[in-house]
Amino acid sequence: MDRRGARSRGVNQALVAAAEEAPREADLAFERLYRSSRDDVYAYVASLVRDAGAAEEVTAAAFERAYRKRSRFDPSRGEARAWLFGIARNAALDELRRRGRRAELAAEPADLDGARPDESAAEAERRLAVAAALARLEPGERELIALKFFAGLGNREIADVVGVSESNAGTRLHRAMAKLREACDGLL
Amino acid sequence: MDSSRDDRLTATLEELRPEPRPEFAAELDRRAAAGFPRRSRLAALRERLQMVPPREMLLPIGAAAALLLVVAVALTATGGGSEGGSEDGASSGGEVLNFLSMDVDESAAPSRSTAGLGEPSAGRRDGAATRASNRKVERSAELDLAVPPDRLSDAASEALAIVQASNGIVMRSSLERDSDNPDVAFFELLIPSGRADEALAEFSELGDVLSSEDRTADITAPTVGTAEHLREARARIEGLLSQLAAASTEAERETVEAELRGERRQVARLRARLADLKRSANLSRFSVAIFGWDAGGWSIGDAIDDAGRVLSIAAAVAIVALAVLVPLALIALLVLLARRAWLRRARARALS
Repeated sequence: MDRRGARSRGVNQALVAAAEEAPREADLAFERLYRSSRDDVYAYVASLVRDAGAAEEVTAAAFERAYRKRSRFDPSRGEARAWLFGIARNAALDELRRRGRRAELAAEPADLDGARPDESAAEAERRLAVAAALARLEPGERELIALKFFAGLGNREIADVVGVSESNAGTRLHRAMAKLREACDGLL
Repeated sequence: MDSSRDDRLTATLEELRPEPRPEFAAELDRRAAAGFPRRSRLAALRERLQMVPPREMLLPIGAAAALLLVVAVALTATGGGSEGGSEDGASSGGEVLNFLSMDVDESAAPSRSTAGLGEPSAGRRDGAATRASNRKVERSAELDLAVPPDRLSDAASEALAIVQASNGIVMRSSLERDSDNPDVAFFELLIPSGRADEALAEFSELGDVLSSEDRTADITAPTVGTAEHLREARARIEGLLSQLAAASTEAERETVEAELRGERRQVARLRARLADLKRSANLSRFSVAIFGWDAGGWSIGDAIDDAGRVLSIAAAVAIVALAVLVPLALIALLVLLARRAWLRRARARALS
């Protein structure tokens, strides 16, 4: 389930070390964090802002902010990926505030409509049904699912990003998944 | 069964995951490799400001305005904090107050200076004096100095040169030599009040200052009162002259002339009194004593004294700085906390 989480293993330790070592080490650690998180951050941000252009701008801005703040990362306050996604979350929510739009966590309509060349009609139907069910969830619930399945964060990291306890994050994620399963019942 | 359903749901969700365009990913990689080069600050600021709705500019603009207001109030408070009335400035605090209230209309406007105390800036002095342009202040100073015995004559000569340069008057001077006591040169001086500060500073540089006392007294009330009495007396004389012209009998004329003599004596007294007061305001009275003592050069005690003086001045500066900076820092902290709380709520609203 946490296939992308596996990619980031070791990044935290590298960034922790980097905070105390030479600037070059900090740059290398950040580069590793960037490589392991670039697509995950984009996926999460795109889910929040639901606009490819805006998602690109926000993703770039989030990485730029993180880069500027890399020396201020405090490992005692959480994981590096959680820290990065916290920055991305703030950047995305700021973008939403600016545009006065509500958060939409579903993927872009262009990605949801129409069947892929290599998929069957049943698979396309299932994908559309899950996307529609996802769109009907509360924004906060959809964000949790995006963090879990689009960004590949663990419960503890999600808790750090959203600013709740780990158990609370787990409970809320469980409820969101239950609602999603119920909404897709019969198609899975 | 449930497990396979969950697996299918998870797999479908991962299929729905948005992926970045390759062009965007490549461009971001390039920027990351370059260390996310900054755009020009001006361009970034302009772009950022354009993106912020006017409504959201209100808080920072309000905070900046409040900060400006606080700075203005603080500057006003520090600039005018020493103002105030004081009728008699015998103490050093009173001297400061009176000094700030002196008459700038007088050609010889007095001002305060005491060895070891800083002089107020000219702008501050002018501003304060202008606000109290009708004040009359009488000033006197006593200064005891010590110089090496072999320098006493030179120091006395330099003191006289200072008086001359200040257009002052030497009322009395003496040089006392006594085998049992140190030699001493005394000077009783009148210095134009406008030059008094400079003169006092120059006297202080002649030797080590043993003691310094600077007194001021506000003589505005007696000056104004005397001038008013003078005007009234003159008016009475005018009236009596009219009566005299209209007098028809010798007895009547004698009575009026007697009254006229009395009033003229009164006018003379008042004019003399007014002249004294004006002289007191225009000329500061200085008493300078220069002792021929060998202080033995700069000693450990002097060093400790100097160190104490430097520390006390540094402490005073620090206290004034804190008095301005602490409220500003508190306001900035409050603004920061308020902004954070507001931002947190705004972001939560954006999501929900």
